[in-house]
Amino acid sequence: MKSFPQPGAITLLVVILITCTLLFLFQKVIWLVVPFLLALMLFYCLRPAVEALVVRGMRHETAAKTVWILLQSIMATIVLAVGLLFVAKAGTWQTDFNRYVAGGENLLKGTAGMLENNIPVFKSMDLSGQVDQVIQQFTNRFAGRNLLPVSLQSLKWLPSLLLVPYFIYFMLNDSARLKKYIIKSVPNAFFEKGLLLCSRLDATLQNYFQGLFLLTLLDTACLAIGLEALGVANAIWLGLASAILAWIPTLGSLIGCVLVVLVAATDFPDRAWIAYACLLLFLSVRMLDDFLFMPLTIGRKLRVHPLLSVLMLCLGAAVAGTTGLVLALPLFGVVAVIGETVSQVVTDRKLKARYRATRQLVPLQTAV
Amino acid sequence: MWTIALNRLDEMKFFGADRSAQKIEMLKHIPIFHELTRKEILEVDELLHERIYEKNEIIFEEGDPGHGIFIVVSGKLRADPGHNLLKNAVLDFGPGELVGELSLFDEAPRTAKVVAIERTVTVALFQAEFSSLLLKNKSIGVKVLVEIARTLSRRARQLLLQEKHAPSL
Repeated sequence: MKSFPQPGAITLLVVILITCTLLFLFQKVIWLVVPFLLALMLFYCLRPAVEALVVRGMRHETAAKTVWILLQSIMATIVLAVGLLFVAKAGTWQTDFNRYVAGGENLLKGTAGMLENNIPVFKSMDLSGQVDQVIQQFTNRFAGRNLLPVSLQSLKWLPSLLLVPYFIYFMLNDSARLKKYIIKSVPNAFFEKGLLLCSRLDATLQNYFQGLFLLTLLDTACLAIGLEALGVANAIWLGLASAILAWIPTLGSLIGCVLVVLVAATDFPDRAWIAYACLLLFLSVRMLDDFLFMPLTIGRKLRVHPLLSVLMLCLGAAVAGTTGLVLALPLFGVVAVIGETVSQVVTDRKLKARYRATRQLVPLQTAV
Repeated sequence: MWTIALNRLDEMKFFGADRSAQKIEMLKHIPIFHELTRKEILEVDELLHERIYEKNEIIFEEGDPGHGIFIVVSGKLRADPGHNLLKNAVLDFGPGELVGELSLFDEAPRTAKVVAIERTVTVALFQAEFSSLLLKNKSIGVKVLVEIARTLSRRARQLLLQEKHAPSL
């Protein structure tokens, strides 16, 4: 694949400004952006399957419908299995949750006690007493009262997530037709550039989602190998859950880390070092993820310089918080391609002159 | 005026979302597609971009980066090559003829300026989409490629023998 021409300094500045503005706006319609992005990710993951069926002689529409039906079957099976598990565990849900919280409490208390015994400053600060107080506040506030509302609040996303299969269906079926209709509206003078822009956008999005998929695989593999070596049960599933949670930078990583440490602390109550090792493993994978894997996979796939990737992540977080962190890189990639092509078109005197000349031709022709 | 309006209506019908038999027949009459079956033409049609050029409108200019080929459906295009080798060439391209076929294989600059000398309907095939077609449906790809190669070799032969010919652009 040909590498994209690098945009100039002014174009880059405009691209960064537009990306930040879009991030700010997207934050306001996050209920629509999330299902659309999920659908887009699934679309780019499923498109190779549709193409494989087309190569085997199936018509595009039939291949798209087949893949969509398969996806719906898998999704329905997962939803059904999770629902059944939820119903079966509903009685012990609070008990299990409390058991893991108790595991975490014990780990924190044990750590505080150990620090007090070894470092006099912590003893004079009454670290154990303070940790007890914090745990008590957390348990009262979160476990006692907020567990149900949190579950109900997450249900608010359900109608929005129902849009995902609807979006995927039309993306799989009509993406080529949509592209054709968009191109139809482009004036003749800019036709070839317009086609090139569409093609580049498509490649950018595909590269981003392929990068994200690769990143998830790398994270899962690193975490699973580490957890397995430490003897933690269900290492692969914990690794996968943490890797998927890491799609939401910072918050997702934090939840993933707490999840892994709680499981280790509960499963090995007498061996606190395993929980510490899990924490260390998690932090190492995060560091690798942020400074090596992400720039190498998503950054490289998007042809974004690693330094620029980090800068965009920081800007995204500053402008739109968690939403900004998630959307910063893909949005920057897309806006950069559009910006670079538009700047080429706008600064191309020949194309502009050709467009102006064509506009003068059309009324003449109609008047004849 | 009415004639023009009716012509436009016909074109709109022709390029509408419903794939009429008339459209398939029209595509089938284009040499590079005439080996294709009805089903294959429908598949290729998904990749074709219809363009209407007014009289004197420039299609592309010499030195422009090329990204695909144009096939004349109706009307006439005229090439104005800058290179001496092509000065003897037939410079007009009518229905069914290809323009810019060299760009289907690389993104080299166009070798001539091409202008519509009357109102011309073309279909364009973009290089990236043609590459994906070659991967997805080898049967169609081979048939189309053979026809393009035939056109190229005919033009190259005519060029070597210094005969009047349509230039490869």
